[in-house]
Amino acid sequence: MICMLLSGCSIGGEKKIKIFSLEKPREKLDYPMPTALQMEEIKWIIITSENAQEVFKKLEEAGIDPVLFGITDKDYQVLARNFAQIRQKLQETNNLLEEYKKYYEDSGNTQ
Amino acid sequence: MIFAVLIITGIAGAGMYVMKLRADNATLKANQIQLETAITEQNKVLEQQKEDFTAILESNKKLNVLINTFKKDLQDLDKRFTKKNRDIGKLAIDRTKSIERIINKGSANAARCIELASGAEHTEEELKATLKSEINPECPALANPNYVEHQ
Repeated sequence: MICMLLSGCSIGGEKKIKIFSLEKPREKLDYPMPTALQMEEIKWIIITSENAQEVFKKLEEAGIDPVLFGITDKDYQVLARNFAQIRQKLQETNNLLEEYKKYYEDSGNTQ
Repeated sequence: MIFAVLIITGIAGAGMYVMKLRADNATLKANQIQLETAITEQNKVLEQQKEDFTAILESNKKLNVLINTFKKDLQDLDKRFTKKNRDIGKLAIDRTKSIERIINKGSANAARCIELASGAEHTEEELKATLKSEINPECPALANPNYVEHQ
């Protein structure tokens, strides 16, 4: 009886606090893949010393300003090469993005 | 009296020893379970690591193939301009209209390559292309995945 009075009815002692950790996976950054580009068509006109008059005449007849922005044959090659490199970089970046997505989202390697 | 005290102490001691053995046994059992769990978890981690390495190797391989394709595409592009000492400028003077057609076709093909590189869907025609005459020569591997170049 005395024991009960002294311990305030708490026979068995205080309950222990249990601390547990629950692993919650990081939220997915679920961006859609970038939308594909839609390129507009451009028309190349080759102008030589022989056809220059004819080309400008045709432009005027079609109601287009008779002015052309020209590049040499060598620069045309450089432009083609530059475009190819831009395209390759775009493809590489898109591929890397897909690979990252596949690695971190498909196999559950969320970090 | 002393004898009785000794017997009681002995019994109590034996009881305590048995209780200690029981407690030790329970601890050992719990340890065993924990060790087994740890081993299972470690095995899982090792398996996951193995899978990850395989995935990384595969991904590296794919990217290396892609980079080699890029190099080849650029070489092919250079070849098209300089094949057999070709001078595109002189050709354009001699055959202005036909070179203009070729340049415009090439430009359209290159634009299509950029669309595909940015993630555009392939057309049925591109997927079916198996002959050299059917392919987009600006980026054969990208535009025509089913085309196999014969050396």
